[in-house]
This record gives sequence, C-alpha cells and structure tokens, in this order.
Amino acid sequence: MKILAVDDDPIILELLSHFVEVAGCHQLVTATSGRHALDLVYANEGAAFDCFLFDIQMPEMDGIELTQKIRGMKQFKDTPVLMLTAMSEKRYIDAAFSSGATDYVTKPFEITELTARLQLIDDLITTRRIKTDKIFAAQSPIAPYASSDSRSAIQLHDPISIYDVDNLVEYPAMENYIRQLARGSLFGSATFAFAVRKIEEHHAAMSSAEFSFLISDVAEVISDSLASHQFLMSYAGSGIFICVTESGWRPDMGALMDAVNLSLSRTELYDNSGQQLFVRVSAGEVVRLIWKCENSVMEAISAAYLSADEASAAHERSMNDLWLVPQRA
Amino acid sequence: MSMVSQELSGLDRIRTRFLHLLKERQANVAQHAMLAWESDDAATKRSNFQEAQMTLHQIAGTAGSLGFGDLGQTARECEDLIITYLDGPAFADNVLLNEIFTNLDAFVSKSQNLISHPS
Repeated sequence: MKILAVDDDPIILELLSHFVEVAGCHQLVTATSGRHALDLVYANEGAAFDCFLFDIQMPEMDGIELTQKIRGMKQFKDTPVLMLTAMSEKRYIDAAFSSGATDYVTKPFEITELTARLQLIDDLITTRRIKTDKIFAAQSPIAPYASSDSRSAIQLHDPISIYDVDNLVEYPAMENYIRQLARGSLFGSATFAFAVRKIEEHHAAMSSAEFSFLISDVAEVISDSLASHQFLMSYAGSGIFICVTESGWRPDMGALMDAVNLSLSRTELYDNSGQQLFVRVSAGEVVRLIWKCENSVMEAISAAYLSADEASAAHERSMNDLWLVPQRA
Repeated sequence: MSMVSQELSGLDRIRTRFLHLLKERQANVAQHAMLAWESDDAATKRSNFQEAQMTLHQIAGTAGSLGFGDLGQTARECEDLIITYLDGPAFADNVLLNEIFTNLDAFVSKSQNLISHPS
C-alpha cells in the first residue's frame, strides 16, 4: 500500500517510517500538517494513496477536518483513513468516525498493533476491490448478463458501500467504532436496527446497481429520520441497517418506524424499467450497551440485527395470516 | 541485519532524537507553566495552559512507544488535567490548579532525570 501519514510531531513520523520500513511491505509518504498533506494529495493525483494515517490534534487543520476534505474528493471516498491519536475521549472517537474514519489507534502504539491494523486495512481494500468490480461488471454495457452471474452479482448479504449519507459509516468502520466505545463508558448508549421488508424479493428482481441505489435511498431516509439525534449507522447487508446512539436517548421504535415508512412513502422510488417500488422497513428492539465488554457489545449489535430481521419476518407472517383467516361479513 | 536488530537500531536513533527534543519541550512546558502560575489574568492563564497542553500531547503520544512509559503517563495526566481546566468555567477552583501545577512539576522533574541520565 502507498500510505500518507500526517502528524505535526516529527517523532511520530519517524516512528511510522521506521515501523513501515521494518514491516517491509508498504510505501510511506509523510506530511507535517493538513495543508502539506493536501498539497501532496493534489501533487500525487496520478499515483493516488491507498491508505491515510491522520493525527487528530494538529494546529490550523486538525485530522477531523482533513478527513472531511479527503472524503469530499471522489477518488478517496472509499480509501481507508486510520486515526492515529493520543485523544481517547469518546467525543474525539465519535467525531473521527462521523467524519469518515475507518479505524482508530490510540497512541502510544506498538509496532505489532500498527502492523496488524495495516494488515486489516490491506484486507479491506482487497475485499472492497472485488465488490467494486462486481458493481462495475453489473453496470457495464458490454456485460449485459453480468447481473445473472452469481459470482459477479452483489449478494444479498454483502454490506454495500454507501456514499454521502450523513452519519453513515461502512460496516468495518462501525465494528471498529464499537470496539473503541467498549473501551470507555457506554453509559447511555444503545443500538437498534431497521430491516427492509421483502428484501429477498427486491434483491432477486433487481440488478446489482439497482439494488445498490435502493439501499442508498433507504439509508438516506433513515439518516434523515434520525437527524435530530446523535447517532452512527451502517448497512450490515441483507437489507439491515444497524444504528448506535447515545446521550441517553431511548427511541420509541414504533414511532421511529412509522416516521421512516412515511418518509419512504413520500420518496418515490423506481427501478430502471420505471416501475414504482413499494419499500417499507420494520424496526427491531432497542438494546442498551451499558456496562458491556467488547464481546458483549458485539453480541448486542447482533441481537439488534436479529430483532429487526425477526420483526420483518413477523410482519410478513401477519400479512399472510390476514389473507388466510376467513373473513366474515 | 535481522528484523529485531533492525527494529532496535532504528528505535535507538529515534530515542536519541526524542531526548534531544525533550530538552526543548521540557523548557517550553516549564516556561508556560510558570507564566500561567504568575498570571492573575484568566485569558493569559488559559493561553499558556493551551501551549503547554500541545507539547504534553506530543510527548504523551510517543514516549510510551520509545520505552519512556512513565514520562508518557505523567505527560498524559498533566494533559488531561489541563483539558479539564480548559473545558471548565473561566475561573477554575484552586484545587484543580494546584493539582495541575503539582503534576507539571513532576513532569519537569522526570524529564530532567531522563535528559541528565538518558540510559
């Protein structure tokens, strides 16, 4: 990977250069400020960076602002950003992930930890490249049958990348965020999920690109519905969106589901043939994250996921029962 | 050269540079601590603490990776106390101020020991 590391502390840059040299499989470029980093990014346009390492606290332009600027560039919407910082307070963690960070490493760090994180990012880039190839294969006019090829089509369970939706992060970043949260206080934090109803039918009827657009539209509606609260959300695949909130807010899931569905009904969604889509969501239970260790927090996220999935299935069952029960005048 | 020896020789070089810089950084923290101590003006106190915090933040971020964990921990404690002060009301209570200066004093002493006896 070609990595750009930005830190105002020359010792950190020396340490990173040394660690990367010892690891021996990456190329590191360093910058001492956000402005310097942006100059390097513009100058390297033809040979873009594969990964960024940003310090948070820097004079003039901090790492959060730098991440936002990088994410605003089309070619770096997906590029992993690893926050490398001594700031371990929750507000900094939240700000880092909200601005688009993929992972977060607390200083001081050891070479083994940094190497392991870089390996995870390398794996993420490889996985993402395969998914991007699938979408392009499905969209390509010279591959009209690509969407029917099970090897190249986006699978129902694939966590698709979604762009330009407020407070939405990719699923690996959400997992990293939760791991960081689990190290501190989770008082007042909770998780819940939404499941798109009849997702298998939508998936089976659509091309990969159409399905990807549908998921992006639903993500935008959910994000807008939660806009007055502090939250992070992520698409976990299979039509399920995981949300993590804090500050003691315990949402009324019935009311929230109605708000999302009302908004979906007002958002006219169509497939490529001009057919209007009837898209609605079901909401699962709220699961509190208080006093949970990392594994328990991940279990809580799974519980929220399963709860939304079950709510969607229960809704379908109730609709079927409605037609099966004999109607009396 | 093996990976371990390569890592060690590289770290030695960075450690030497860290200690060289520490002399300058320790003087910077001590100077701003002194100015904050002497000033009765809340704005002057805050700006000096902010300057000291920036330097402490850098030390806290690297000292542990270079084998100076104790110094890094002391720098971190000073930084956390200063952040508490800066996030609080304009006129903090004397207990917090005393705690900050006691910790800054410990930081300056530990830095001095490392600079004087680097091995």
